[in-house]
Amino acid sequence: MNVPLSWLRDFVDLTLAPGDLAARLTMAGVEVEAIREVGAEWEQVYVGYVEGVERHPNADRLNLVRVVAGERALTVVTGAPNIAEGQKVPLALVGARLWDGHSDEPKRITLKASTIRGVPSQGMVCSEKELGLSDEHEGIMVLPDDAPVGTPLRDYLGDTILELEITPNLVHDFSILGVAREVAALTAQPLHPPHVPDLPRSQAATGTDDPPLVAIDAPELCARCVGVAIAGVTVAESPEWLKGRLAAAGLRAINNIADVTNYVMLEWGQPLHAYDRDQLAGGRIVVRRSEPGERIESLDHVVRTLDERMLVIGDAERAVGIAGVMGGAQSEIGDGTTNVLLEAANFNQYAVRHAMQTLKLPSDAAVRFGRGLDPNLAWEAAARATALILDLCPGARVTGTADAYPAPTTERTVDLPYGEIARLLGVTYPVEQTVEVLGRLDLGATVIDGAAGEEPTLRVIVPTWRQDITQSADLVEEIIRVIGYDTLPTTLPEGRTVEPRRDPLRLFADETRDILAASGLHEIVCYSLTDEPSLDRLATDGRWVTWWERDRPRFDATRLVNTLRSDWQILRPTLMADALKTLSQNLKFRPTVRLFEVRPVYLPRQLGQLPVERLTLSIALAGERTGRSLYTTAGEVGASLDFFDLKGTVEALVARLGIDGVTYTPSDYAAFSPGRAAELRIAGDLIGVFGEAHPQVAANFGIAAARTMLAEFDAEALFSKVEKRMGTTGATRFQPTVQDFAVVVDEATAAGTVEEAILTAAKPLAQSARLFDLYRGEQVPTGKKSLAFEVTFSAPNRALAEREIEGLRRRIEGALQKRLKATLRA
Amino acid sequence: MTTGGSIEVGQIEALEREATDRLAQIADEAALEGWFREFLGRKDGKLSGLLRGMGALSPEERPRFGAAVNATKDRVTAAYEARKATVGGAALTARLAADAVDITQPGRPVPMGTLHPTTLVTRELSAIFALLGFQTIEGPEVEETRYNFDLLNIPTNHPARDKWDTFYVGSRGTDDTVNEIVLRTHTSPMQARTMQRQDPPVRVIVPGRCYRYEATDASHEAIFFQLEGLAVDKKITMSDLKGTLTEMTRQLFGSSTKVRFRCDFFPFVEPGVDFSATCAVCGGKGCRVCKGTGWLELGGAGMVHPNVLRNVGYDPAIYSGFAFGLGIERIVMIKYGIDDIRNFYANDLRFLEEFAGTRI
Ligand SMILES: [Zn+2]
Repeated sequence: MNVPLSWLRDFVDLTLAPGDLAARLTMAGVEVEAIREVGAEWEQVYVGYVEGVERHPNADRLNLVRVVAGERALTVVTGAPNIAEGQKVPLALVGARLWDGHSDEPKRITLKASTIRGVPSQGMVCSEKELGLSDEHEGIMVLPDDAPVGTPLRDYLGDTILELEITPNLVHDFSILGVAREVAALTAQPLHPPHVPDLPRSQAATGTDDPPLVAIDAPELCARCVGVAIAGVTVAESPEWLKGRLAAAGLRAINNIADVTNYVMLEWGQPLHAYDRDQLAGGRIVVRRSEPGERIESLDHVVRTLDERMLVIGDAERAVGIAGVMGGAQSEIGDGTTNVLLEAANFNQYAVRHAMQTLKLPSDAAVRFGRGLDPNLAWEAAARATALILDLCPGARVTGTADAYPAPTTERTVDLPYGEIARLLGVTYPVEQTVEVLGRLDLGATVIDGAAGEEPTLRVIVPTWRQDITQSADLVEEIIRVIGYDTLPTTLPEGRTVEPRRDPLRLFADETRDILAASGLHEIVCYSLTDEPSLDRLATDGRWVTWWERDRPRFDATRLVNTLRSDWQILRPTLMADALKTLSQNLKFRPTVRLFEVRPVYLPRQLGQLPVERLTLSIALAGERTGRSLYTTAGEVGASLDFFDLKGTVEALVARLGIDGVTYTPSDYAAFSPGRAAELRIAGDLIGVFGEAHPQVAANFGIAAARTMLAEFDAEALFSKVEKRMGTTGATRFQPTVQDFAVVVDEATAAGTVEEAILTAAKPLAQSARLFDLYRGEQVPTGKKSLAFEVTFSAPNRALAEREIEGLRRRIEGALQKRLKATLRA
Repeated sequence: MTTGGSIEVGQIEALEREATDRLAQIADEAALEGWFREFLGRKDGKLSGLLRGMGALSPEERPRFGAAVNATKDRVTAAYEARKATVGGAALTARLAADAVDITQPGRPVPMGTLHPTTLVTRELSAIFALLGFQTIEGPEVEETRYNFDLLNIPTNHPARDKWDTFYVGSRGTDDTVNEIVLRTHTSPMQARTMQRQDPPVRVIVPGRCYRYEATDASHEAIFFQLEGLAVDKKITMSDLKGTLTEMTRQLFGSSTKVRFRCDFFPFVEPGVDFSATCAVCGGKGCRVCKGTGWLELGGAGMVHPNVLRNVGYDPAIYSGFAFGLGIERIVMIKYGIDDIRNFYANDLRFLEEFAGTRI
């Protein structure tokens, strides 16, 4: 809301400079978003007097205008059609900074001396647009007759405008008068509301026996409706002062009647509407619910279809306005209007909000009604508007009034036990100061002494315009916001502390992040929204399915109803797509990229149920294992990361998390290259999958790297496998024995199978079997390979004798022979 | 016989003198080895040779002579060991000198990972609040409007809801009163969930992702991280709120940081404020980051609204509490001088690696 200080000064003396006033208001909850100086940039612009107008000798539509401003007298060329001798006009001299009147976009220009069609022009008479006051550029701006000629325009028309952000609770500040009341309270100045002659309470216009001017047919949605019949009005352009104030507040002038209703809305916060009474069937109105499907052409000449939750203003035959939102075109005030019916009503905020949102018509009136207005405002605002109309139309007179107000709203009493101030704030203030502060806000407080030794209570009368104050905490806020939050001390909470509990899953997630970052990976955090085409890029057949159920979830329950971006349609059920997307982006400028993400995925359940948010880990790697360096051999440089780089990362992770019972089995998940993918299982349970992305999948993400590594693990399943272990894990103090075994097996036999056979055969003395060499060639038959394992044997209670080791060796040999048809190579 | 014995003794002394004199001249390990073979060699060493020549002595003289030779051998061996240590040390020194490298060459590269800045700052905040006795908990990002709005004193259709532009999930009902499913617009739903779950005292912080259905720019993301704080008990005051936030900002930005409250409206607190801290960049003098005000707005706060306490079954006449919310990215941006929030989720390594040297 724009508040011109010139208007505010009508109602309260401003004792603070604009910047200080803005700060004071903001600290107290009425946020000043900007302070705008109107006319600050008007250099070399004066109030001029038009001494004479002559036709331009060389152009029919141009005039030569002689203008004086103090000692200055000059001739300017203008095309303005409304120029006339005797006018007071803004006169810009050469060098003035103006807005370009012919540009659609705001554009600054500097006025230069020029010659137009052979006649030199020494300056310019300005339109409102050229001065930055409005978009009006049809003619020059005509100043009031009493404008002081020769005065810099800035001194005469300049103003300071506070741009306020009015929070939804402060509807009582949504007007110039409301802000004036706030300023008066905050600066301890008296408020000078405008003098408003009261309206006669009579039904004269329709005759005592006739139905009243206004009636309410839906009292549950309309608390009050005031009508004033005014006859003999003359519709005309508004005077400059009125147009100026509307423009300063940001509204366009229309005609004197419509302008008055807008003026009073800005000043009082009460929207009003004026009807051409002669266009109303029956000459009166009724507030009623719309018929389902009822149609009305609104003032903006759009035909709108209404529903029964909307309120309309009807005449005897049809809807003539959408209550609180916009009037109808049929009864619009026009040049020929002489009889006016002025309406000031109180419509239900939810009905207005429903209409405003459904019809997408956030008019100034609807925004105010939508916040819930004080019904007691309507009568005074109608009186103020009537007085202004009578001022502007000397022949006009009130022919009748009506006030439908079935259940008047009355003041409320709220008790504030004095101890509440200290209990909520941790500080208290003298009772007299509190009463005085509340009084400044028109909150009349009476001190009621408590019983012996008890705190007193303040009984506070809350005026009807403060609908936001309903309980003691509201009054505490009023007190502290006026006294100032800077008076609050800083203390720390006393009393009981809470049980020290840490979320183990959260700790696990952080530990996982630390391990992976220490392994050289960068943590990424991606948007949690995606779309199905992004997921489908993870599949070679164009249809993504999960790796755990091999099925595609129905996304109904995680699909957005409204979105900002076409690729934000569903909550992501996997981190894989974002991992590859981010990998792809970074590979454009990095030879090697190693990434991980630890965030939830969202797995839909039934419609209407919250999805499961499952903590998940993704890893993506691609690029060179090592770049050029002093220490790499030519053969190593540029070699691509591969499956085993990823597996090493996974092994390090599970080892550092202290997880046992890990097995790796081949995976045929479709995002991966067949034969280069694995499932991570712990104690038999599927935890996740990892492998080299299928080249087509990598290509789907625009990845050109030779090999692309991708992994996703159910982090909560991983977490469930972490055992809290105390002490040692059975490491022996006896020296272990290490022996090498070269095992010749069929090509198709997996190293893991051999490892498992060795460990099983020599259970429990074999601690580990580590594959350290793989050989194919002359030494072994075709179709076979030789795997060299380093096997560690140990016992908890003794050093193993050579005899025992020999026995183990034979057992291993026998088992390998029997299970795998393998032989040991010497 | 005595004469013969003394001649032999003189021979021993001469050999010892020769051996030690020669030993003193030796500077390298090869010469030392040659000397060892010459004098102390088991088979043909000169000192061993003396023992072999003992056959010429009378049986009475042999023990005395043998003892003299062995004593000499021990002394010469000791001298050898000493010399060997000296010569060996010199050789080692020479070898190490030859092994010197240009220590200004780069080291062998080790891949360096990083944590995301929001992770770093969330941890920092969690650690600060742990010291103040606050548990860190998390809650669902996909929420019911009951928790996101209604229980927080933001009724359906109320204009206060307009403050939170909301993503709706699932099929949206047409009836305004239904409990809809939304992406939470703030971490505040966890206020209601926490209080419903437990009795006072409550002291929690809730970091987590939030969503707003609004266009993004350099300082606004539609998806962002927030941190909620909640303390409820008997005698929790707004001064405690100011003190708690002051401690937090001092830990984050330095010990001279102050906190300022301005009245503001959030339906779930009364009184409600927004809070600012002394600008960490200029120390309050005014700069570009704080737009010349000397203050950085960090978030909203206030005393838990009595209606919210009632909604979760707490008696507002007995219990009071404070709550606050702040943007985690905003803290990162202030601490590390980042001016565009959109950097956070672009996941550009050139940005993420800026945080390689950052720890809490
Ligand atoms: Zn600053």
